[in-house]
Amino acid sequence: MNLLDQLYEKAKQNPQKVAFPEPGNEKMMQAAYETGRDGYIIPILLGNADEIKALARERGYDESVFTIIDINEETYKNQLIEKYVALPGSLLKAKALNRRMANPLYYAMVMQAVDEADVTFAGIDNTTGDVLLAGQMIIGLKPGISTISSIGLCDIPGFEGSEGSLLAVGDSAVCTNPTAEQLASIAISACDTVKSLLDWEPRCAMVCYSTLGSGQGELIDKVLEGLKIANELRPDLAIDGEFQFDAAISPDVAAKKVNRESKVAGKANVIIWPDLNVGNVGVKLIQQFGHANAYGPMLQGFNKVVCDCSRGAPVSEIKGNVVISAVRAAGQKK
Amino acid sequence: MDRKELEAQVIKLVAISYKKNESDLSVDTSFKEDLGGASVQMVALVAEIENELDACLMLADASACATIKDLVDLVEEEL
Repeated sequence: MNLLDQLYEKAKQNPQKVAFPEPGNEKMMQAAYETGRDGYIIPILLGNADEIKALARERGYDESVFTIIDINEETYKNQLIEKYVALPGSLLKAKALNRRMANPLYYAMVMQAVDEADVTFAGIDNTTGDVLLAGQMIIGLKPGISTISSIGLCDIPGFEGSEGSLLAVGDSAVCTNPTAEQLASIAISACDTVKSLLDWEPRCAMVCYSTLGSGQGELIDKVLEGLKIANELRPDLAIDGEFQFDAAISPDVAAKKVNRESKVAGKANVIIWPDLNVGNVGVKLIQQFGHANAYGPMLQGFNKVVCDCSRGAPVSEIKGNVVISAVRAAGQKK
Repeated sequence: MDRKELEAQVIKLVAISYKKNESDLSVDTSFKEDLGGASVQMVALVAEIENELDACLMLADASACATIKDLVDLVEEEL
């Protein structure tokens, strides 16, 4: 059973409520319908209820699979606003929130913030910037986390790492040139993500072109400072470095290059790139030469799971990302 | 609200969002050099401006402001 099949099975055991603010999009509605019909999630569609129902009928879907929320219906909306503004740390007041909730993306996130939904799944009609802003404004960042970031999950044929053929890598998509503080946030969030999604005990390596002082320079200093911050903020997590990539994942190389105790060296299951140049090139190398399937990018750092899917994604990929998001949300509740 | 009042309001909101003393800020304060804030603080500021001044700014536009004066200009356009 491959990774995605395992996650589908896991989702089915504990289906989560996923809010879809872009149900008018045909691919999005199909993904919501099929994952809902097959019991992986409980899909909530947001927008104009009459229009959504008409589209569902037109597309031949059984309406009973969906929970449909009419964002223009005042009673429920006002209940949500009342609950939301009472939350500690909520940024928007009632009037501003009411205005923002005319946009289904914001409505969905308010539902999520007050526990009426577990995931917000968007990105087909909204841009990444729209999703990130709404997420930061409504859902907020986890305590101690200074940036939104992402990780991807690579399934690399022939790779025999500490989690078999799987390796989590980040950030390859969001945070362009992270500061030391942001690098620490990426590492901490990545550990939490793999724990909630895969039940892994994270072993997180912060990589660059040096292993424990073999190289020197400002690029390495940033990684070291990020590592220090991450260790101070979350001493419970196994985050270590600075390591070269091979010293992070290969026990043989680690035995030669890492001359001290490390829970991570040679057996890392999470790799943190020093910046987006490395991250983007790294993932492309893994895909092109390693013939890997790469899942994600999964957004992380928010208080709750927010998913921004690719606009060009086919339905099969959207469904995979819906299921991954649902499993993460279930994992975060543990 | 005249320009001076608006400037005072925006400075007050910047102080809240960036956790600074209002007296240390002026319209010439640079977001990057003087405040060094992350996007999280700018999101909080955009929300504060929306709550208090009823001006709905795009985060990208607000983030492009070099100084508090630029931000006041932006809010003024939206009001």
